[in-house]
Amino acid sequence: MPKLGTIEQVKRFQEKCKTALDKFPLVVSLCHGTACCAIGAKELAAAFEEALNGEKSVKFIKSGCHGFCEVGPLVVVRPLDVVYQRVKPSDVPEIVERSLKKGEVIDRLLYRPRGNGKVYAKEEEIPFYAKQSKVVLALNSRIDPYSIDDYMAYGGYGALAKALLEMTPDEVLQEIVDARLRGRGGGGFDAGRKWKGCRSAPGERRHIICNADEGDPGAFMDESILEGNPHSVIEGMVIGAWAIGGTDGFIYVRNEYPRALRAFSNALKQAREYGFLGENILSSGMDFDIKVSRGGGAFVCGESSALFRSLEGDVGEPRAKYIHSVERGYHDEPTNLNNVETWANVPHIINRGAKWFRSLGTEDSPGTKVFSLVGKVENTGLIEVPMGITLKEVIFEIGGGIKEGRDFKAVQTGGPSGGMLSQSQLDLPVDFDVLTEAGSMMGSGGMIVMDEGTCVVDVAKYFTDFLIEESCGKCLPCREGLMHMSRILHRITEGQGEPKDMESLKRLGDAVAVASLCGLGTSAPNPVLSSIKYFEDEYLAHINERRCPGRVCRALISYHIDPDTCTGCGTCEKVCPVEAIQPVAGEEREEGLLRIIDLAVCDKCDACREVCPEEAILVESPAIALEHYRENVTEKR
Amino acid sequence: MEETNEKLVKLTIDGIETEARKGETILQVAERLHIDIPTLCHYRFVKPYGACRICSVEVTIRGKSRFVPACSYQVRDGIEVQTRSEEVIQHRKMLLELMMARHSQVEVVRKLAHEYGVDTTRFEEMPSEGCILCGLCVRVCSEVVGANALTFVKRGTDRYVSTPFEGKADTCIACGACAYVCPTNYIKVEDIRDRKYVFSELSLGPTTPIHIPFAAAIPGIPVIDSHACIHMQTGECGICSKVCEPDAINYEMQDTFEEVDVGSIILATGYKTFDPARAEQYGYGRFDNVITSLEFEHLSHASGPTGGAFVKADGSEPKSVAILHCIGSRDKNYNEYCSRVCCMYSLKIAHLIREKVPDADIYELYIDMRCPGSGYEEFYNRLLEEGVHFIRGKGVEVSQMPTLATTTPAASNSKLYVKCEDTLLGMPRELPVDMVILSVGLEPAEDAEEVARIFKINAKGDGFFMERHPKLAPVDTLSDGIFIAGCAQGPKDIPDSVAQGAAAAAAAVSLIDAGEVALEPITSVVDEDVCTGCKTCLVVCPYGAITRDEEKGVAVINDALCKACGCCVAACPSGAISQRGFDDTQIEAELAALLMS
Repeated sequence: MPKLGTIEQVKRFQEKCKTALDKFPLVVSLCHGTACCAIGAKELAAAFEEALNGEKSVKFIKSGCHGFCEVGPLVVVRPLDVVYQRVKPSDVPEIVERSLKKGEVIDRLLYRPRGNGKVYAKEEEIPFYAKQSKVVLALNSRIDPYSIDDYMAYGGYGALAKALLEMTPDEVLQEIVDARLRGRGGGGFDAGRKWKGCRSAPGERRHIICNADEGDPGAFMDESILEGNPHSVIEGMVIGAWAIGGTDGFIYVRNEYPRALRAFSNALKQAREYGFLGENILSSGMDFDIKVSRGGGAFVCGESSALFRSLEGDVGEPRAKYIHSVERGYHDEPTNLNNVETWANVPHIINRGAKWFRSLGTEDSPGTKVFSLVGKVENTGLIEVPMGITLKEVIFEIGGGIKEGRDFKAVQTGGPSGGMLSQSQLDLPVDFDVLTEAGSMMGSGGMIVMDEGTCVVDVAKYFTDFLIEESCGKCLPCREGLMHMSRILHRITEGQGEPKDMESLKRLGDAVAVASLCGLGTSAPNPVLSSIKYFEDEYLAHINERRCPGRVCRALISYHIDPDTCTGCGTCEKVCPVEAIQPVAGEEREEGLLRIIDLAVCDKCDACREVCPEEAILVESPAIALEHYRENVTEKR
Repeated sequence: MEETNEKLVKLTIDGIETEARKGETILQVAERLHIDIPTLCHYRFVKPYGACRICSVEVTIRGKSRFVPACSYQVRDGIEVQTRSEEVIQHRKMLLELMMARHSQVEVVRKLAHEYGVDTTRFEEMPSEGCILCGLCVRVCSEVVGANALTFVKRGTDRYVSTPFEGKADTCIACGACAYVCPTNYIKVEDIRDRKYVFSELSLGPTTPIHIPFAAAIPGIPVIDSHACIHMQTGECGICSKVCEPDAINYEMQDTFEEVDVGSIILATGYKTFDPARAEQYGYGRFDNVITSLEFEHLSHASGPTGGAFVKADGSEPKSVAILHCIGSRDKNYNEYCSRVCCMYSLKIAHLIREKVPDADIYELYIDMRCPGSGYEEFYNRLLEEGVHFIRGKGVEVSQMPTLATTTPAASNSKLYVKCEDTLLGMPRELPVDMVILSVGLEPAEDAEEVARIFKINAKGDGFFMERHPKLAPVDTLSDGIFIAGCAQGPKDIPDSVAQGAAAAAAAVSLIDAGEVALEPITSVVDEDVCTGCKTCLVVCPYGAITRDEEKGVAVINDALCKACGCCVAACPSGAISQRGFDDTQIEAELAALLMS
């Protein structure tokens, strides 16, 4: 490995890498992200390796997440530039034979969205991708995350060379300040200000930390960046260290991310070999290295001060907020902590300048944001969009609308501590301040879409319970307040709600939000407060009418069989575990006797509804079901 | 230097304009202004923690208000603080309601909640065991004591305080600081063996390291017990020096030696009690409820660890007590002599127990009762009337299980069994009792031997100091001007000690009063021309009367101390020492005269 010490040397080496890459006339990029691997990408990779059999003309890449998880496993063939979706190992010979050898497009593997009958071959045409603007995820489908040469072929570590060799730390810092880069971890704190604060804090050592303790349920942005493009994070951190005067670096990765850990650790090794980490980086005189620390599985350790304690080997608990972490963080020394996505943005800003960065997104929230779009949308996956895009665009254009054509009900942004927004908020532009004002937050980028079949009270209960589980228990409001909120929510969903509960919930939520010690506590009531704000009628339906509009809360629903649809096939009777379904004597149908559910016995397990071929089993509020029961059965008897 | 660098910030609290140093918290400023802000997790000697949030106040800065914890929020220039606004009160009420749902049985919480008119809670009550998770104990143990013997376990609503890994904390120094700061009295200090003690006396309850040595000590100034002081043990703490306004705490102070010139000395160095652990059969140190007579005194004293309550180790009241006489006395295995005082103090103990636990069964196991003295026999008779059981026969063994086949085991397994031979009944007996008090005998003080050596006086075979004559000179020693008094001379009770002390004092006074000392007529004298300064005489002189003049290099005899024993004369290898009027020619002349007659 050459020792790189000048801009020219780095550029020359980048050229060399590019030439090496260009030697391959054909590229097969298999999405090897977590989601695709879960549905067969590993077997697919084995099949490709076997079929290609060391073929010199094809570069086979096991890449990071491409984003479109809904239709994985994904395979991109270049230069055809065609995206194959839901690929199975049995499709591999055909891909090799036709697409690689003959350059044909295999029609049956192309993406066909439900409903409109269109067929999409190229990535940029697919609506899911078309609305996105990828910056930090741009290289995910193009490079092998285990190859530093791939990264360098696309200009990787160029920003580092530029920063260390052509810019003073002050200039780098100014660039970040001018870019108005805001922390992607949740708070949206101005990164430039943070860096400045850390740089000017008194102390001999300065720690540069990457927070990869991504604990939000349904969020996998940071994981995908670490898995797909780990070098961009390293590059960002080293640039940060240059600007701030960092002496050592850490990455705090949750232990549940073994793949990200492996990719990142490998990247660290390579970066050290190439001299981008270690002593006298690029002959700039700066010594800097990054250590990997694995989290122990506590959500609260994503909070900065708790993360420091955990990193020190202590119990991860937030501390009193009068101490600023830029001055006294890890081991009470100046520390700059940013999350994965923030660091990954840094090389781009250095490369293309603050002005370019601010041309993306909005005035107050420039740049792009990665979201994990999950829930009841047609297209789930990992997306990167410019700030300021509306929720509607994200959910209905990129996300392709609600699954199975159902109606939209709510979207939860910002993970468990975010809030639920309703139909009326869909035109809101996605940026830090607007979402916070609406009672939710940007968070680290989780976006969970809910359809009409979701009960917001149930969802609020779920998130509150999650946060109780993860609360460290240090401060009273979070520890006790959340628990009582959860108890009230449990009562409401069990049909025991009382009108005064609404007031109690609001008061409790306010108290927890205002008085809690750390960000986890102050944002914890968001799901409840925002859902009360936008879906108060649902709460009232639960409390006053004993009805669950989403038909989710078991205590507030009843199952009954529509006598007009039922064919009497008896499938439901066979699956019922509690034998609540019986035939009704004298009620002949096409295939047998009409069945009826005994409401007193029914356990509401939903098994019958799932198997009914005629969709004759209906879920209603108990009162309606009882009425049906009387009308159709009891009286006839 | 700090003062010149100090920056003052201006702020208002509840409308009062004030100035504060940078870095001060709202709570500190409020305290100065006598504005009361309630706290539950704050303690001035540990770092702000911000867990209870009860101290939340409203801060307005540049027109924006928010709630901050007063205990940890550092004041800034231009802030407006509201400690009792409607919103603040409402918030505190809500937090107190949450507290009440858990800790309504905890006095401090109930009291504080009541102050805010919160007597009930709208929330489901889930009573705690009394810990409000304020973390004071954990923080004091780590920040002040430096022991780190306590920690939080689990998280969220499952959180509780325990020792690391929930085991016996090796690092605990049993200082009791955690129990002291605990606002709810949830933490209690128990006597658990095998750990480092800061309190060496813990077996009879902790005392503070800073204390007035004993009631009515002169001077009545507190001292720091260096073995118990956390600062002297671990280097942490130092709280006393922080709170002492006159700055009177001095950790560096050492014992000093004072030299005084005196003409006569009275040695009244006392005694020590027999260590019953040497007599294993009595179970002292093995069984919690076997204590010595002196420990009973400590226990039953009004200023003792239980405030005078007579209780067993588990805190319950003993219903039967055996008092075993002659422990370490009149016993060939230990001390052959009678300690003289035990019979009477054993009677006193029985009397005190009768007073404290009127229905207790009290047994006195004696060899024979020795009650000579004014009113002593009458006191013995009174005890007989008080229903104390006197068993003539020495207690021989204390065990947790009956050893005699005839003994019916008691229902409770916490009983102790005392075996003895009742010589009046002529049969062995075994008494099931709750508690055993060992009437330990008296022994020479620990350092008696060394004292005797320093003062060149003799000790008897039993180790007590020897008087010049047992009948005719009971306070004098063979060294003139040195007198002995009290138990240093032999076991005796208080009246005897007082009498002997008075006699010794009178003897010393008579010496001082005379102003001169009558010398022995035939003291030794050194012929300086012959003396080689070999120091042989220094070693043999039993009275310490010979010193060496380093300048001249010869022996010098102090006539006042010389008792004319002649040892030095006989020992001098060069024949330089002779006795006045008693040299060889004089003796020979005496002999000649004698023989001639």
